Amino acid sequence: MSTRRSRSRRSSSSRITDDQIIDLVSKLQALLPESHRRSTERESAAKVLQDTCNYIRSLHQEMDDLSERLAELLATTETTSDQAAIIRSLLM
Amino acid sequence: MAISNSEGDSAAKERERKRKRSAEVGPSPSKWRTVSERTLYSSKLLEALRRVRGTAPADPPRSRAVREAADRVLAVAARGRTRWSRAILSSRALKLKPRKRRPAGPARSKKPLAGAAEMKRSPVLQRKARVLGRLVPGCRKLSFPTILEEASDYIPALEMQVRVMSALAAMLSSSGAGAPLSDRLGSSQPF
Repeated sequence: MSTRRSRSRRSSSSRITDDQIIDLVSKLQALLPESHRRSTERESAAKVLQDTCNYIRSLHQEMDDLSERLAELLATTETTSDQAAIIRSLLM
Repeated sequence: MAISNSEGDSAAKERERKRKRSAEVGPSPSKWRTVSERTLYSSKLLEALRRVRGTAPADPPRSRAVREAADRVLAVAARGRTRWSRAILSSRALKLKPRKRRPAGPARSKKPLAGAAEMKRSPVLQRKARVLGRLVPGCRKLSFPTILEEASDYIPALEMQVRVMSALAAMLSSSGAGAPLSDRLGSSQPF
């Protein structure tokens, strides 16, 4: 019984396999913007990581721009709670 | 013989349990792409933004406040199942601007790696994974596979956030500024 436990403990201390890494990298590749174009070929892990970093940076930049825009818009627009509900439904 | 059979069975059950445990890593990326998630996020965001507007009226960094509110609401939407979301909630300071590192010199000292994925952990990959770890909140010191997992959830969450905020900004700007929205909500603008 103790053998089984120690065996399971060893296997649960994550020895990450190549396959698991490949799987994670391909999942990440599928999330990238141009993935539908390149879905058949698998890219190198380095390229996927690079593209992921670039994509996250561009999303962060978009978020900053949107935050600035929203900050300005909110300053000048009045919204009642009714209008907020309308906005919510329109956002769907 | 009966004993060895039962040992095999319970070992198999234990493997099954571990498989199920490891499968529940975090929310799947597609969860962020549902209409219900977008709707929920929109309403929470609106509440948070109205609060932002109440405080700090003429602040130049109000865009900062909007950004932080949006990130907080996003982190709450993750329901505590990812590291990046917990990191956002536990620390308000979200380091976004990449600090200038010294120009690419010799590779940093590699920690000795154990396990079968030696090949995958080349210094190039390690370096890029560290960069990625700095971009995803709370992931600076995590292992290679964990960083990949966190990034896989963080990206669809960010995409949803961008989509909702774009829609909100478009709606607020199409109605013009400086007057109540109710006058202008008659004209329907598709997004």
